[in-house]
Amino acid sequence: MKLIILKENLIKGLNIVSRVAGKNLTLPILNNIFVSAQKNFLNLASTDLELGIKYWTLIKTEKEGEITVPARILSNFVNLLPDKKIILELKDQDLFIECDEYKTKIKGMSAQDFPIIPKIEENHAIELYSPALCEGLAQVVDFSAVNQVRPELSGIYFNFQNNRLQLAATDSFRLAEKNMSIENNPPSQISFILPQKSAKELMNIFSEFTGKAKLYYSPNQVLFEYMMTETPHPQIQIVSRLIEGEYPDYQGIIPKKYDAQLILERDGFINQIKTASIFSGKSNEIKIKIDAKRGGIDVLSQNPELGENKSFLPAQLNMANETQKEMEISFNHKFLIDGLANIKTKNILMELNGDDGPAVLKPEGDVSYIYIVMPIKAS
Amino acid sequence: MSKDELWQALLAQIQFNISKANFATWFKNTGILQKKGPQVVIAVPNNFSKEWLENKYNKAVYKILHGLDDEIREVKYTVAKLETVVQLPQNAPLESDGPVSQLEFQDFKVNKETNLNPRYTFDNFIVGPFNELPHAAALAIAGNPGSVYNPLFVYGGVGLGKTHLLQAIGNEVLNKFSQKRVKYVSSEKFASGIVNSIRNHNIDKFKSLYKDIDVLIIDDIQFFAGKEKSQEEFFHIFNSLYEKNKQIILSSDRPPKAISAIEERLRSRFEGGMIADISMPDFETRIAILKTKSQEKKINFSEEILEYIASNIQRNIRELEGALNRLAAHQKLNNRAPDIETTKVLLKNLISSPSKTTNPDKIIKAVAFHFDVKEKDILANSRKKEIVGPRQIAMYLIRMELKSSFPSIGNKFGGKDHTTAIHAYNKITKELENNEHLNEEIGLIKEQIYRL
Repeated sequence: MKLIILKENLIKGLNIVSRVAGKNLTLPILNNIFVSAQKNFLNLASTDLELGIKYWTLIKTEKEGEITVPARILSNFVNLLPDKKIILELKDQDLFIECDEYKTKIKGMSAQDFPIIPKIEENHAIELYSPALCEGLAQVVDFSAVNQVRPELSGIYFNFQNNRLQLAATDSFRLAEKNMSIENNPPSQISFILPQKSAKELMNIFSEFTGKAKLYYSPNQVLFEYMMTETPHPQIQIVSRLIEGEYPDYQGIIPKKYDAQLILERDGFINQIKTASIFSGKSNEIKIKIDAKRGGIDVLSQNPELGENKSFLPAQLNMANETQKEMEISFNHKFLIDGLANIKTKNILMELNGDDGPAVLKPEGDVSYIYIVMPIKAS
Repeated sequence: MSKDELWQALLAQIQFNISKANFATWFKNTGILQKKGPQVVIAVPNNFSKEWLENKYNKAVYKILHGLDDEIREVKYTVAKLETVVQLPQNAPLESDGPVSQLEFQDFKVNKETNLNPRYTFDNFIVGPFNELPHAAALAIAGNPGSVYNPLFVYGGVGLGKTHLLQAIGNEVLNKFSQKRVKYVSSEKFASGIVNSIRNHNIDKFKSLYKDIDVLIIDDIQFFAGKEKSQEEFFHIFNSLYEKNKQIILSSDRPPKAISAIEERLRSRFEGGMIADISMPDFETRIAILKTKSQEKKINFSEEILEYIASNIQRNIRELEGALNRLAAHQKLNNRAPDIETTKVLLKNLISSPSKTTNPDKIIKAVAFHFDVKEKDILANSRKKEIVGPRQIAMYLIRMELKSSFPSIGNKFGGKDHTTAIHAYNKITKELENNEHLNEEIGLIKEQIYRL
């Protein structure tokens, strides 16, 4: 193998593929990056056996060949090289790197021992705008469950239906759902659960792209692909396993009605929750109290050791039951902030359903996003 | 050689050919899914393993398998979950400490206070002749807890709907009388609660949990057997609730009389109310259950398939549901309804693998083993009381299980007259009607027969 590549192209690829390499103890080769010189392309790949990333970039190939080298060493080293042409050359099992005045040798392992990243039959591509996909994922990705008791909750639910893509995640305390429209429908209704880690990597890698990404689906794995702008060849492919199991029918827990609906100014609300959280103590409990007479809410918190806090925020109130003038509900302040952080509109809609029913947060005038959180109940 | 043995043999051999790390990575959670003539299908946990085995180890795997069984000519790989892979326990309790608790979405979890799962209701409980009595009793109790049939004791085999019925009572009571306090616990949870409270020296706190309950439901009470402290505490709780006319509902896999190692005073209390048993569902009921379940899942299967399932899975409703789930998964993956042939393949290992058969020798062996007598004594002419009893039971079982003719049964037992066999059969049949103990014993022997 012998090839010539620009540093900036190499480092870009290394930054992407080295993300998943280097976390495996049982199979040391997984700490390596697969480097392959093909005709006109350099192919870099890495995997942790759940997720595989492949990256291609245009190069001048003098001799084809392939090798794997430790991800950390290669990317640390290349990062420090000057912005010049780099010559990579393979001799036996060693990768020789030449750039300007640097001459380096990195010990490699045979590419024969590197896991084969599964292929997906590229039958029907679903096209998605990369920025929209990443933005949508960002709004739900943090809410999937961490523990493995219910594996199906540990991923992000993708549901393609009627020209729409629904993304959802829940850890059974809160739930976020994002709706986005898509241009071309899959031939049949498909849905799958993408592991949270894969979703995060996908988001990080694809967020820099501005065009359309392609998605190919097969029953137990999924492929996300982004094409090169210069030539019709994939630039990047992410293959991920899917989580087995059926996603709970969460539509049932989205409240259809409310006891009280509030329209609040977002920044003020966040600020008051943060203030209250200082006094909330270990339980993270803060109280939201509706004050219909003054036309707003009190945000309260207290702690016997630290003190207490109370602040008032004017709100547009809409009570389901006109005669009801007060309502008091406790929440974990972190859960409220998490939801509000994903809503960017000036005003937010908050719908409350008593002190033990789910509360809803929505951007005002935008139905594509919904965040539901359960209250805390002091017993 | 069975599939599992074959795979074990392969694993044993292949570990010498490859490095330990590779072995651990690529052969974890693999197994033989299906062996059909010359073709073997190997289940692997993910696509990475599939690619790797196909491309790197296929030759070695094939060579070893072929060496073990020269019928094998083709090895295929597929991503699938093996039955034996141990699943993590569902809804493992995540106890939060402190007095403040974060609420969860209700659909996702059972009600914390009552431990009831809202999924179990009377509406989706299917009634057939086999569970009419307990269902009627349960309905009566749900309408008027504490004043009719107290305690209610429901017993029946595994997977026949005891838990469903018990929880349905709880849910119905909550529906009708929202101020009533219902508590559902498994006996195991109850016992571990006692152990914990003894350890933390707060047994009074534990007792107070059960003091103000209107309906107490304890599932699988047979696990109290041998746990004396649990029995004692339960006895006191039982008495105090019973005195206040609070409803108590219990379930077990066998009647109170047959639960060994349980104190007499508890046993007599169990029998003081209403005892109802759930037996096996008949064919029509099984069909009805399958139809309701598939409707719940919004999937339609043909009559033929449902009949096939119902006629092949007879003893357990949970298995019926398992079979449906498997078909549903298949349909979802392939986007078309399975036909009867695929159904047969899919359900092969659910449907009691090799059809259970037995013969007179096995029965006699099981009877001899159960009563600890010699087989040849049973077959000989001894008229000792301890031999005659088992012999009659053996004759009865051969008649019942194998439908053998009376003369042939007589012949089998040292050339006895057919009237002897008829007498034995009639005697046991009659005795079974009012001797619960004998019933229990016959059940145990039957289990033994099919285990041999």
